[in-house]
Amino acid sequence: MSTKERKLGSVGEFIRRPYVRHIFIIWIFVTIAIGLFAPVQSSLMGNSASLEMDVVKETMTIFTFWSAPVAGLVISVALYSLFGWRSQGETAPTEDGSPMRSNSKVVVGWLVGSSILCVMLLVWGLAAMSESHNGSDPAKIHTVNVVGNQWVWNFDYKDDGNFSTPVLYLPIDEPVMFNISSVDVIHSFWIVEMGVKMDANPHETTHMRVTPTELGIFNIRCAELCGLNHSAMFTKVHVVSKSDYKVWVDSMKGSAQ
Amino acid sequence: MSNETHKKSKGIMRKLNAGTGVAFGLLLGFTVNYLARKYLAQGDDFPFYGDQVIISTMLAWALGFMIGVGAFVGPYRWLMNRDLSYEDQMWLAGKDAGTARYFRFTTDHKVVGIQYLVMTMVLLGVGGTLAMMIRTQLSMPNNHFINHSMYNSFVGLHGIIMIIATIIMVTGPFGNFILPIMIGARDMAFPRLNALSFWLIFAAVPILLAAPFLGGISTGWTAYAPLSTQAPAGMDAYIITIIIFAVSSAVAGANITTTAVTMRARGMTWDRTPIFVYGAVASVGVAIPAFPMFMASQIFSGLDRAMGASFYDATNGGSGWLYANLFWLMGHPEVYVILLPALVALLEIVPVFSRSPLFSFNAAVAGIVGITGLSVLVWAHHMYASGWAPNLNAPFMLTTEIISIPTGLLFLVFIGTIWRGNIWVRLPMIAVYAVLWNFLIGGITGIYLSDVPADMALHGSMYVTAHFHYTLMGAGLTGMIGATAYWFPKLTGRMLNEKFATPAFLIMQLGFQVTFFGMFLVGLEGQPRRVAMYDILFANGNKISTMGAYTIFFGALIMLVTIIDSWRNGDVAPANPWGSQTLEWKVPNPIPLENFLVPPVVTGDPYQFGKPDIYDLGADKEKVEV
Repeated sequence: MSTKERKLGSVGEFIRRPYVRHIFIIWIFVTIAIGLFAPVQSSLMGNSASLEMDVVKETMTIFTFWSAPVAGLVISVALYSLFGWRSQGETAPTEDGSPMRSNSKVVVGWLVGSSILCVMLLVWGLAAMSESHNGSDPAKIHTVNVVGNQWVWNFDYKDDGNFSTPVLYLPIDEPVMFNISSVDVIHSFWIVEMGVKMDANPHETTHMRVTPTELGIFNIRCAELCGLNHSAMFTKVHVVSKSDYKVWVDSMKGSAQ
Repeated sequence: MSNETHKKSKGIMRKLNAGTGVAFGLLLGFTVNYLARKYLAQGDDFPFYGDQVIISTMLAWALGFMIGVGAFVGPYRWLMNRDLSYEDQMWLAGKDAGTARYFRFTTDHKVVGIQYLVMTMVLLGVGGTLAMMIRTQLSMPNNHFINHSMYNSFVGLHGIIMIIATIIMVTGPFGNFILPIMIGARDMAFPRLNALSFWLIFAAVPILLAAPFLGGISTGWTAYAPLSTQAPAGMDAYIITIIIFAVSSAVAGANITTTAVTMRARGMTWDRTPIFVYGAVASVGVAIPAFPMFMASQIFSGLDRAMGASFYDATNGGSGWLYANLFWLMGHPEVYVILLPALVALLEIVPVFSRSPLFSFNAAVAGIVGITGLSVLVWAHHMYASGWAPNLNAPFMLTTEIISIPTGLLFLVFIGTIWRGNIWVRLPMIAVYAVLWNFLIGGITGIYLSDVPADMALHGSMYVTAHFHYTLMGAGLTGMIGATAYWFPKLTGRMLNEKFATPAFLIMQLGFQVTFFGMFLVGLEGQPRRVAMYDILFANGNKISTMGAYTIFFGALIMLVTIIDSWRNGDVAPANPWGSQTLEWKVPNPIPLENFLVPPVVTGDPYQFGKPDIYDLGADKEKVEV
């Protein structure tokens, strides 16, 4: 018997067990399948329209890759057990399964593994958060005051002239700081394709920063139930070139006078 | 003296039941309603009049019901120095009383367990029907099945009914019926408190169900202020329900904890105590600090509405963020209150159906304790995007992500127990597999949501809705169905007919995957939660979700019919059909009033499965001498 050549419980002996190999093969397939889900998820979120959304999509993809092997392990053991370890016959099994009550190597290994993964998630998250705080010259930041009002959004431009509009215009590649508030209940200001949102609270001002990176028209929706017409509280943001933005600002200033 | 004990008590106590409760509740409710309308100041200067009338009526109904059902008989008799005699107590326990004992203030824990089970099923039925209305409205982008006001109201009602149902669904039926027998006790530590906790919920349910007739709960189940201050009188129903429910769960929590700590059989040391007991105690233990937060949040909300206090009114020194904090201080521990008992019920099932000992009992306990401890430290991850305290986002991200470590331990215990088992695939075990799958998806999507930048994109979207349904429904409710299938022979004395129950379960699972796949889809595409209509862009995902939801409902109907039919006409169950080792399977069917004729003595843990095995002998050094 091979037990003479290899100590029971050694790694070499363990990986020679036939069921371990089967589970290993299933694990590879399941892990790859979950990993393949990452690009699907990313494409469902649409093209990124801001630096912030780039970070979100990167995070979702990398977290999927990190979780895949762990989820794959649970699924492959469960799947294998349904076929390889299934009791034959309809009635109660007469034979018992393995008497294993614990295995300190496995428990410690699992704890260490999950802790390392947890630290990786945390470090990634913290790095991503600080990334969004760094960057350009504060003097170049545009400021827009956002006011939520059952059930419309209003945008007050203070820096670039003094006017209000229900449709947001932003210049491409320039950071914008939103000062967000509400006149009635809590709303949540969400620029969908830019991956950012912040609640609009009555009599408080909250802040949110975003740097648009794509030209086009994107969606703004309210993400906090705010009463009867919550679902109708949406508008658009137009991200335009710097020169077009200037033209738009001038026309708005003209009409405001 | 002997004369006195033999004298049959003729007091009105023996005439009280749910019927007299309802009658007296209605009487007191209408009386107070009349008085309030007559004497409370009204008119343009008194904007709070309406809420005052409604709140006082509801409280009067609840008080009247509790008096009428006999909840105060014990304290009253004690106060009158005529404490309950042995005969009275036996009568209260429902000795030889037939089915009538299910409709009165019965103290027998087995009766309370069945009452909770039926109540859970009724609430799940109502909540599920509301979910069908919601999904029907959302089957098309601009549907007019129900109007926006009704839609918002149904969303709130569905949410809170399901939250209450899932909180009581395991610790109610199984924590009351099974747990005392499992630890070798003759009843709960406080049998009258046990009945009290159930009948309080019974008193609260009509109040909650009255909400749609009072303008509905238009705020979602979170009832954020100041939206809740604007909301119609249905909000008062929500507030009163929560206050009563918090009392009920505090009473139940104290009772289950005391029972588990003090009433375990001789020889049942902590390392011989079944893992279900740990999970049930952890669950009600978390509720003890969490639910008072909920209660306080609703008392403040009620005072804002009915008295013009300004706890949450930012124009008068209050803050909506105060509400959000109080709410989530309950709201996040609460998901573990729901999840833990369902998971530990499955941990009882896995060893039995794998014919293997629970893998690393200690890791399971560590997982439960870790989750319990961390669950009270993660609440503000619901508030990353609220703007309340941006500097706290990083610490809350830390605590939230750490909770994946003890949760991971529970996964290890599951797959370690399955490992090289002799798997007996019956409905309870199928539920274990379903929960492993669902909880993995719920867990991984939870990792994305715990990350602050990713949550800024996903928060408030259908993605979150799909995520928490995977945990609360996919893991919680599915686990509860597994537990019901497992303990059905003990609860009813009959076998559940798996010829229908298993297909019904699988149909529900299939529908579940489809429903929430569609919801993840539209969430990633950017559909907000709680919208009555949506962009045409989300049409396909919503259609998928609605079809899935109808599938769940269809499966659930078959399941319900099967359960009722098996309960009435099923095959008579042997005392221990699964070959389990926990004590509840050692008592005969039907279970005697005081469970054990002889108090049991425990000499080992209930997971003594397994034959010596050439492979595992080497892998586990502690067991080499076997």
